[in-house]
Amino acid sequence: MKQQNPALIPMPPERLLELDNVGVHFPTREGLVKAVNGVSYHVNRGEVLGIVGESGSGKSVTARSIMRLQAKNALDASGTIRFRRQSGAEVLISSEDRQSRTMRQLRGGEIGMVFQEPMTALSPVHTIGTQIARTVMLHRKVSKAEARAQAIALLTRVQMPRPNDIVDRYPHHLSGGMRQRAMIALALACDPVLLIADEPTTALDVTTEAQILELLKSLQQELNMAIVFIPHNFGVVAHIADRVAVMYLGRVVETGTVDEIFYEPKHPYTQALLQSIPRLGKSHGRRLRTISGMVPDPYNVPPGCSFHPRCLKAVGGVCNVTTPEDVVFPSGQRARCHYAGDIAIAEAAQ
Amino acid sequence: MSTAPTKTMHDDTLISVRGAKKYFPVTEGWFNRQVATIKAVDDITFDIKKGETFGLVGESGSGKSSIARLILRAYDLTGGEILFRRASGEVIDITTLGDREMRDLRREMQMIFQDPYSSLNPRMTLLDLVGEPMVIHGVGSAGEIRDRVAELLGLVGLRPEYVTRYPHAFSGGQRQRIGIARALALNPSFIAADEAVSALDVSVAAQNINLMQDLQEKLGLTYLFITHDLGMVEHISDRVGVMYLGRLMEVGPTDSLFAKPMHPYTEALLAAVPQPDPRGNRTRKRVPLKGEIADAMNIPTGCPFHPRCPYADEKCRAEVPALRALDNGRQVRCHYAETLDLVGVAAQ
Repeated sequence: MKQQNPALIPMPPERLLELDNVGVHFPTREGLVKAVNGVSYHVNRGEVLGIVGESGSGKSVTARSIMRLQAKNALDASGTIRFRRQSGAEVLISSEDRQSRTMRQLRGGEIGMVFQEPMTALSPVHTIGTQIARTVMLHRKVSKAEARAQAIALLTRVQMPRPNDIVDRYPHHLSGGMRQRAMIALALACDPVLLIADEPTTALDVTTEAQILELLKSLQQELNMAIVFIPHNFGVVAHIADRVAVMYLGRVVETGTVDEIFYEPKHPYTQALLQSIPRLGKSHGRRLRTISGMVPDPYNVPPGCSFHPRCLKAVGGVCNVTTPEDVVFPSGQRARCHYAGDIAIAEAAQ
Repeated sequence: MSTAPTKTMHDDTLISVRGAKKYFPVTEGWFNRQVATIKAVDDITFDIKKGETFGLVGESGSGKSSIARLILRAYDLTGGEILFRRASGEVIDITTLGDREMRDLRREMQMIFQDPYSSLNPRMTLLDLVGEPMVIHGVGSAGEIRDRVAELLGLVGLRPEYVTRYPHAFSGGQRQRIGIARALALNPSFIAADEAVSALDVSVAAQNINLMQDLQEKLGLTYLFITHDLGMVEHISDRVGVMYLGRLMEVGPTDSLFAKPMHPYTEALLAAVPQPDPRGNRTRKRVPLKGEIADAMNIPTGCPFHPRCPYADEKCRAEVPALRALDNGRQVRCHYAETLDLVGVAAQ
């Protein structure tokens, strides 16, 4: 069931990726799971978009559907995903098949990917060099020797210690941080314009995480690459993102610049999330604010605003009945809440 | 029954770890020839006071989980001693206890594990899971156990009617509460929480942390809280120990340790934490720590942190610094603790 919108308005020239009303559903025994239920966001050239949300909010499923790597039983329920190729032409990714020629060109070519678990994402039976060189040879007409030289150059670029030695090593020889560097080298093999990074630093220690974040940031600026960054915590997103989208139960509930999201959140969910994290230097002894209840079952999404059962500001008769639309603020910040405007006014008054 | 000489510790101390060592042999070949030694825990000394939360932080492989396991005697010590004050007031060295005595002592010390999915048997109901410690220790009749389980579930914010359900019916945060209820079943005085909220989403982690703090107040519990999350440790701990390569680098009251670290490693750890403050991040200078934690089989000479330390000199390469007690109630394992001017996290 694919909705083909025949009259797609061309994307603005700076736009690299645009998701419009994307829905991904999974039929399960318990019922239809609407894991992604009308997600819209976009990424401009050279921009870092951070996507935050609790587990089950659909952030990874959305990212996987951009790469057409969803689980086999996933249904594309609605919406369009468009990507601007280096040639300038737009591709309607959402109507591409997982194994289509275009998708195989894009994946690992113009769109690079970094996953959370570098041990499972890298092949354990091939050397780091082979894995990078094969990717290069798949997308470019180069000889084996040239591809190997490029692999070493890439490892140098990601500041891998002893790249000439590491190129012939297997992933199990490397530490977690080095594996993640190898993953990044592999993702960068063909100079992608878009990098999708799904929890790339979750498995790492803070000091290694800091190194990897600095690396990603400097590479992003050097290569003018856009990144869709799915972090595991708010600190990481504050560090790397230009804009942030907050997801809850398969929907984007708020988007804005990183400063707007952190200093002037308009959606009650974003506000509650930010208050529930302990912050260095200001949290000792203070009780953590919590969000009451828990994320509902995905096959049992509450009617109206899906956050209303946990929302302190929910209004009976409105929030539990009507699904809110995006409220758009002059700055471009958007919040999917009936009372986002009122909340903004109340905040300004304080 | 051994009659170990009575050890002494300060009246307000619950646990005293003194010179604890845990070495693991690395073996090779048919005859398990020992080829190397991993010093997972090396010469650790610290006290946990009654009713406090002692936080242990450090990178993976620093030996923080091993310490919890040593205190509960899941591992036997290679050297040193661990004193524990029993509910009766008697002070015992747990390293001298036999299996039966140790089992009896475990009523008073319990553990909460990291992974709420693998630490609960999926084939047991909540009644079996939470009541199991009581069955093992032969406490109470079936009816009493049932009542106690219902009470415990209420205590951790789960409905008492849930006793007949299985773990799969619960979310990660709820499972962690089941683990807490199980740990509380025998009224322990001490609980070691090893990465107890690391696997949870922020809002759920916050709920469980608040619960743990409420329970501590209500039941007078003492916690050893092990985590790699510095924000969380600052939030929950009264005192903090910072570990690196099996050694304690610094111990001190949370506020002063975070505001003014005295060991370069603590400074580096604090600087590495990404803060949820985009404006601050832009102005804050962040120099990532170079290199990686050394191989535990091949610990650097001198100060184990010297290869990554920006302040290291010849002395650090040659001499192993001792954990020294300073006047201000802090302990530091650094030759230059007094002279270095290190940056912490400004209290706001």
